[in-house]
Amino acid sequence: MNTILNPLYNLVSGVIIIFHKLLTPVFGKDSGVTWALSIMGLVVLIRIILIPLFVKQIKSQRALTALQPQMKAIQAKYKDDRQKQSEEMMKLYKEHKTNPLASCFPIIAQAPIFFSLFTVLNGIAKNVPHGYLKGEYLASAAQAKFFGASISQSFLGSSDTTVKIVTVILIFIMSATTFTTQRQLMVKGMPKMDSSNNMMLQQQKIMLYLFPLIFAISGVNFPVGVLIYWSTTNFWTWGQQFYVIKRNPTPGSPAYEELQRKRARKAKLDNRDQSGTVIDPTNPELGQNGQEGDVKGQRKQPKKKKKR
Amino acid sequence: MRTIFVAAINFYQKWISPSFPARCKYYPSCSSYAASAISNYGIRGVGMSLWRLVRCNPWSHGGVDYAVKPLKIAQKTSVGVN
Repeated sequence: MNTILNPLYNLVSGVIIIFHKLLTPVFGKDSGVTWALSIMGLVVLIRIILIPLFVKQIKSQRALTALQPQMKAIQAKYKDDRQKQSEEMMKLYKEHKTNPLASCFPIIAQAPIFFSLFTVLNGIAKNVPHGYLKGEYLASAAQAKFFGASISQSFLGSSDTTVKIVTVILIFIMSATTFTTQRQLMVKGMPKMDSSNNMMLQQQKIMLYLFPLIFAISGVNFPVGVLIYWSTTNFWTWGQQFYVIKRNPTPGSPAYEELQRKRARKAKLDNRDQSGTVIDPTNPELGQNGQEGDVKGQRKQPKKKKKR
Repeated sequence: MRTIFVAAINFYQKWISPSFPARCKYYPSCSSYAASAISNYGIRGVGMSLWRLVRCNPWSHGGVDYAVKPLKIAQKTSVGVN
């Protein structure tokens, strides 16, 4: 097991050490700020690397507009057979070499990284070196304090009141960000579901409350460093999702309709003198500005839906 | 052993997966694929499932891909929506 994970330990600890070296001139070598920011740096780096994937997914989601008529046809044809419906849908995507779904692998791939980080940070607490985090670095990290709590300590592993307070606050932040992110997505970001999905909606609601609870329960075992990592990554997810929901929402979701209304209003104001249709002036933009054009081009879709 | 794997997948499908947006590029989803692969092929199914997860990456186009030919799995384990 260790031979598989060693490269990951090296990677995780290496990145942390690099950030630590970069930040040492600013905050000092043994400062908790340096170590905390180094962990956050790791998060930011991972999430920045993942941005292109995210953008790619969003783009192919929006490119789906062209397939809308075929998708409608499939939905109508297999109205009563959801399995057949999704099967045909996947066939369609494959045919057109576009797929709006995010794919499973990136999420699975992040798990070992998180696990390695957990091991590396736990190693600090137990004085066990992993990867590049050894020797003087290990000693320096072990004494580093985050708001007065050692980053290697956990809620259950320490009797220090400061550690308890800091971990509880971090666990709270962790749970709260997970909760708001999920809620935001459910309320605004997802296409409205038909009644056949009620069961799923129900489960989503349960999970909305259960997930933060699970975090709270498991969080008491996590060292402060891991909690910092998790909180930062949650903040990032939330911010990224907020941006997408505001600027480029999934077609069919409440946020999308909101944006459509806003754009329509704006377009109306802009074209009052020309008294042209709203769609006309947006068409030239299709060529110039891919993303904006895509979204605006979709304005036609609701009309098509109504006709059919 | 197979039952444990399949039970874990069913748990994931029922409780964990619904709280995230659909993400699998294939039909059936990776988890449905894994459930049927493992219950039909055992340890080989585990390998198949892992390979399917790797294939379900940002550069793939997805599509329809059954672990077992559809005729055999008329009595499916669970309906994975994503």
